[in-house]
Amino acid sequence: MKLFKKLGRMEKSDLIVNIIVTILAICSLLPLFWLVTNSFKPSAEIYKMPPDILPKSLYLDNYKELFSNQPALRWTFNSFLVSFVTTGLSVILSAAAAYAFAKLKFKGKNIIFAIFIASLMIPKETFIVPLFKIIVAFDWVDTYQALIVPNLATCFGVFMLKSFFETIPDSIRESAKLDGANEFTIFFKLMLPIAKPGIGALFILNFVTFWNDYMWQLLMARSKGMNTLTVGVAGLMQEISPNMGLKVAGAAIAAMPMIVIFVLFQKYFTKGITAGAVKE
Amino acid sequence: MENSIDLKKEKTKKKYRGIENPWSGYLFIAPQLILFLLFILYPVIEGFRMSLFQSNYVSETFVGLDNYIYLFKDPVFLKSIANTIFFVVAIVALTIAFGLFVATAVFDKSAKYVSFIRGSFYLPVMVSMVVMSMVWNFLLNPANGLIAYLLGNLGFENVNLLGDKFWVMPVIIFVTFVGNVGQAIILYIASMIGIPADYFEAAEIDGATRWQRITKILIPLVKPTTLYLTVINIIAVLKIFVVIQLLTGGGPNNSSVTMMYYLYQNAFVYNNTGIAAAVGVLMFIVALLLSLPQFKTFGKQK
Repeated sequence: MKLFKKLGRMEKSDLIVNIIVTILAICSLLPLFWLVTNSFKPSAEIYKMPPDILPKSLYLDNYKELFSNQPALRWTFNSFLVSFVTTGLSVILSAAAAYAFAKLKFKGKNIIFAIFIASLMIPKETFIVPLFKIIVAFDWVDTYQALIVPNLATCFGVFMLKSFFETIPDSIRESAKLDGANEFTIFFKLMLPIAKPGIGALFILNFVTFWNDYMWQLLMARSKGMNTLTVGVAGLMQEISPNMGLKVAGAAIAAMPMIVIFVLFQKYFTKGITAGAVKE
Repeated sequence: MENSIDLKKEKTKKKYRGIENPWSGYLFIAPQLILFLLFILYPVIEGFRMSLFQSNYVSETFVGLDNYIYLFKDPVFLKSIANTIFFVVAIVALTIAFGLFVATAVFDKSAKYVSFIRGSFYLPVMVSMVVMSMVWNFLLNPANGLIAYLLGNLGFENVNLLGDKFWVMPVIIFVTFVGNVGQAIILYIASMIGIPADYFEAAEIDGATRWQRITKILIPLVKPTTLYLTVINIIAVLKIFVVIQLLTGGGPNNSSVTMMYYLYQNAFVYNNTGIAAAVGVLMFIVALLLSLPQFKTFGKQK
């Protein structure tokens, strides 16, 4: 009843616009709804028109086949390994640099920071040829290093965390200093715990980025066993095979962790994305 | 007098230095800096150099600007520029317009409703263009896809949108837009919520309608966000690759080739690394020019 009263007080145009927005919001979820529900249908049922909105029964063979006849388990493992390690290392390295830029004094600080920020706007893809050459020279193609190390070279985290460190008062640092703590102790014992909300947001944001990475993983993972989920299932899709159910289940598996993460951590996303953008 | 002040300064400086080791700053940024030099700066410089050589992965010969001359004579490359520009204009216009439409509608509503709207539009962004492209590929399949079936019911027979020279770009633009607009919505809502409520209250007392409040107050006030979104969306579209690879492979008849796809094909399919590097350099310059105004805003924040 309360809701109706509220709706009654809205301007008519506002009400209509919001009904349209709500409908469109639901529509934008439909492709994913289609994906998840169809992954539980046998191929014949997926082809059936008009389609059933929900599967007739919870058909699990697509997933069984994906994990027994395809190296999907290996792909999932690779995706988790690469995303976790890249994210973890990148957060620590960014936090250290961000802390230095926010709190420490050293020559050339502003210039180096400006160059870091400038690199944010340059898409990595434009220099993918020389980057690829470097990896070839290192003889890293088809290794985990190749999937992890070059991705650590992103300054987004430095930019995002710097503002978090700046909000921490200097007096905390000074009193720790007087107690004889050195810069590393201060960073690990004091600053990191205080900056936790920012680090959490960055962690999730980076995890999603690395999980969803495609072009670099496609170039680096040559053997089927080194593939990550996105590359693996994209490869499945390009195979000429009528086994629609298997392909749909593959795409669903690649999407699933992101859906779960989003449901669990929605507020971190909003925080992370807005912190990365222009501040007022 | 002056000397004693200087002396005092010197002393405090020394004392300060005593606690603050000037090297610890460098130590903290060193790992990030090394990664930056090795995997960003060096490749950029190397990319410029490579673009002046005719090369594959085995040998190279210096050719000066020949790669660039070749590019501007290649009809496929010119097509890719035209497509990329069309793509950029369409995506930016759609994203800004739709982002504003959604954000202005919901920004002053209850928190739960806002997070539902935000979430629904952001979820497709989260699950990545790879998965979204796959889903649309299934849906758009001319033989047994849902969209062909629905269009068939409306009386259109045998529709193959991705195989149609005219429809292929609009369809790809739509797919990209759906997988992308959530970010604009989140940023717009965040900056609109940040605007003090008194502005609207004052306008309301003066009898302004909601439409007037939106167009005269809200949209002008979120202009920095609009600028930011414009730049990052242009740059994001420049590097669009997955959608093209998974949906059309550049076809039919090159009508959906973009610069990034052209670069990729030359680099990793035809082994024309010099040509690919030259395309990269051109895209790099475009991205840099576009983001210059953005750097100025970053500078002002300090």
